[in-house]
Amino acid sequence: MLASLTWKDLIGAAAAVALLAIAPLLVKSNYLVGVLTVAIIYGLWAASWDFMSGLTGRENFGYALFIGAGAYTAGFLDTAYMANPWWGLPAGVMAAVGFSLVLGFPTLRLKGPYFALAMLSGAAILQRLMLIFWEKTGGEEGLYGIRPLLDSQLGFYYLVLGATVVSVMILVLLARSSWGVILRAIRGDEASCQAAGINVTFYKIASLAISAGFGGLGGALYAHYQLQVSPQLFSIVTTITVIIMVYVGGMGSIYGAVGGAVLLTLLTELLRDFGEWRLLVYSLILILILFFLPGGLIAPLWRKLRGAAR
Amino acid sequence: MAEILIYGAVTSAIYAMLAVGFTLIFGVARILNLAHGSFYALGAYTAYVLTTVLHLPLLPSAVLAVLFVAGFGVGLERALVRPLRGSQIAVLMITLATSLVVEQVLFLTFGSEYRNVPSLASGKLTLLGVDISAQRLVTLGVSVTALSLLWLFIQRTRLGSAILAVSQDPEAAQYMGIPSDRVFATVMGLSAGLAALAAVLAAPFLTVQPGMGLLPMVKAFAIVIVGGLGSIPGSILGALLLGYSETIVAYLISTSWTELVSLVAVLLTLILRPAGLFGKRAAF
Amino acid sequence: MTPIRRVVGSLAWLALGATAGLTLGPAAAQNPPIRIGVPTAIQLQVGRDTTDSMQMAVDEINAKGGVLGRKLELVVADETENPETGINAIKKLTADEKVDVLVGGYTSGVTLAQLPHISRAKTIYLGVGAASPSITQRVKQDYDNYKYIFRVNPINAAHQARALADFISGFVMAEMGLKKIAIIGENAKWVQDLVPILKKGAVDAGADVRMSEFFDTQTSDFSPLLSKVKESEAQFLVVILSHGSSDVFVKQWYDARFPVPIGGIDVKSMDADFFKRVGGKSISEITINGSIRAPISPKTIPYWDAFVKKTGRGGPVYTGPGAYDAVYVYAEAVRRAKSTDPDAVIKELEKTDYVGALGRIQFDDTHDVKAGPGLVSFGFVQWQDKGERAIVWPKEMRSGKAILPPWLKK
Repeated sequence: MLASLTWKDLIGAAAAVALLAIAPLLVKSNYLVGVLTVAIIYGLWAASWDFMSGLTGRENFGYALFIGAGAYTAGFLDTAYMANPWWGLPAGVMAAVGFSLVLGFPTLRLKGPYFALAMLSGAAILQRLMLIFWEKTGGEEGLYGIRPLLDSQLGFYYLVLGATVVSVMILVLLARSSWGVILRAIRGDEASCQAAGINVTFYKIASLAISAGFGGLGGALYAHYQLQVSPQLFSIVTTITVIIMVYVGGMGSIYGAVGGAVLLTLLTELLRDFGEWRLLVYSLILILILFFLPGGLIAPLWRKLRGAAR
Repeated sequence: MAEILIYGAVTSAIYAMLAVGFTLIFGVARILNLAHGSFYALGAYTAYVLTTVLHLPLLPSAVLAVLFVAGFGVGLERALVRPLRGSQIAVLMITLATSLVVEQVLFLTFGSEYRNVPSLASGKLTLLGVDISAQRLVTLGVSVTALSLLWLFIQRTRLGSAILAVSQDPEAAQYMGIPSDRVFATVMGLSAGLAALAAVLAAPFLTVQPGMGLLPMVKAFAIVIVGGLGSIPGSILGALLLGYSETIVAYLISTSWTELVSLVAVLLTLILRPAGLFGKRAAF
Repeated sequence: MTPIRRVVGSLAWLALGATAGLTLGPAAAQNPPIRIGVPTAIQLQVGRDTTDSMQMAVDEINAKGGVLGRKLELVVADETENPETGINAIKKLTADEKVDVLVGGYTSGVTLAQLPHISRAKTIYLGVGAASPSITQRVKQDYDNYKYIFRVNPINAAHQARALADFISGFVMAEMGLKKIAIIGENAKWVQDLVPILKKGAVDAGADVRMSEFFDTQTSDFSPLLSKVKESEAQFLVVILSHGSSDVFVKQWYDARFPVPIGGIDVKSMDADFFKRVGGKSISEITINGSIRAPISPKTIPYWDAFVKKTGRGGPVYTGPGAYDAVYVYAEAVRRAKSTDPDAVIKELEKTDYVGALGRIQFDDTHDVKAGPGLVSFGFVQWQDKGERAIVWPKEMRSGKAILPPWLKK
């Protein structure tokens, strides 16, 4: 898994990107293009969640905090200050990174469930604050009147796809560099890493900040797609959705997470005919996948394919 | 003042029943059971079906509901958790998916609307000048009794000491020939039963609807962390802390701030004393 | 619809069309149905009653030959209570299903999130569930983009606040003789909009507002709040909630035999079986209610009885009558416009004057349903012994004498 990228990986990635790029031309439905746009934003979130949590083994249950921070920042800039909406993207990234630093320093020394819960409460606190200070934040309804970045929906789809492809490439390359090796080593034995002279704290904080930054970018894109942000973005449900996607994709692989996001979003669409039974069928399928494929679906599948093509 | 004292005690008692079960599972099996909220919801709905649909008397219905949910817990451990126990995150995800399924099944069977579980005791009493419904006092009494019994069980019986042994050192316990699978199943059953008991007691004055399990579970999670993962006295103390701080905030500031309190408490505990009040330092 | 079902569907349509064409001539075969999109929370009672009531109206209209020779057809999409899913539902209905009109809604937050997407899809939307004034405010702020938005039901929270203020001065103060009131409401958009107006109205009427506080929608323990009300020495408690825990609130109020009567807007308490669901603990609670079996208009009782017969449920929740009327309001407008072109239909919708199950429906310049006597108005309905309901206010609608909580009777 740690081997550097092979030409097979590159071909596989190119094929996947090409498929996503021509998908709108194939489906010819504005609605499905919208669904895919959201799916790819989720893919960006899933990949960056995986970068931090999949590699270091610290499950971040408050990831929604970064998503919400990015989305609200973009929303505030656009609606309250009427700045050029494109500024929302870098600002969203900065806000998310800022939060990751504030929360990261005190919590990253925690392990397992402790870190998970610390982040979870961080996100939930922000959600509560959004509701309590409703005069400023719009409360339950959130911010509305956010302008679209591009008038063309197809154009926006390609913008999101481009941003995600570049981000995922950066994340994959980082994960396969010496940086990734160190993160995985920290997962295995933090004390030895420390003893070997590695600045463990730096690596953990930096990886959380990177993960958060891309989350914030996704959040800002999301805000400009939905044209609205609401406190529900901060909720545990958002985080859980992202984690499930990573898990189905195969943890620690990053590209698998994107696959998981697209796959699960399309699955919810396919199940639409089940009406009110949809969520039940979805959760049952989820149980089956989790139970029989504990390593996930996408990444193991790709490894098999790659092996077969040898 | 007397109001804070009494209402805070009832709130804490409900939290304690949920948190103790949650922490037992973690302490013994080292798993975070995200289906804990489903036990609570299932308990309330079973009591609803038995009393309102099948018209059974209240007391036997309550007992049956607790037993049924305990059985469900054991079954869940057997069928889904045990095969995956090697991986923490796999267990986390499978229990999460289970809770989604339970919620959806309740949704589709009973609809989204509230259901009513009748009170064990009706009427109101006046205690220290505070009006309180009899059901709340019953809840307080029963939960204190149940938790004391659990304490006795763990301290005084063979199975209980096996549970204690496994929670202190699973490997050593294994070498000593303690059947860890049986211990896990027992603990899962106990924990589920306690959650169901909390639900049967609290349902008459709290809500009964399909999503009712999530909030109590998050609270239990928080309490357990504050008290120290795996520690029963810790979670009881955590429950008291949280129950009282919520009640005090509701009185002094505003009810819309109560939810914030537990969250801030958790975050502060984690930052200042990650092992929790009674946790072992080795646990983190 | 999956592609396969769509193919099968169109095959069936072709087959039907072919046989019909032989007997009826080409006109009927060429008319595609008018598609009505229903974005609503289908797992909730509000959603089920919206859909069922609309289906009743559609069946009635179709039985009489449809509109402009075209049948009506419903397409339902689940909007849940989550803005993301809500936006998705709108996109599905407008871009994919290509519906002619949207009728639905429940949570104000979801509806507000959907508005820009409805406006971009240039599709008419008739709201039947969300009460926030901000929804129709957009029509005023930006008519060109938001002219597609109408609200049939419920009555704008601002109007509800005024009706509530009137109830306080006319009923609570004048008839019950209680001057000190407390106001508590859930921390949700429509309540935040409503409370300031209500407070001002009550104070202007001479009431002594002892306290007003918002509580979290997830509140599970009301005892601290109730204690504060008691300490404030209020004599009447005005409660405003819908998403929050109506059941928990009345249970705890009843169990404590709380010595202050309650009334206001409790959306769940508008349901016909609420009394049963809380074990009778809502006794004497008064709530605004637009959905009750009473001769509000000649159509109200027939609609109510037909609904009970069709669904076997106790009666529609608050979205029911509005959803039923919305289909008629739209159908009438299409008939007058002689087309489903949105701009033409909007012109006709603005002229709506229709007597439906809700009352007489007209829209004001923000496309909001007008409220008042002779138009759409609400009764203040009280739960009485054995789950009977009586309208206790306004006077002209009164159907029974108001009662006090059993523990306050002298």
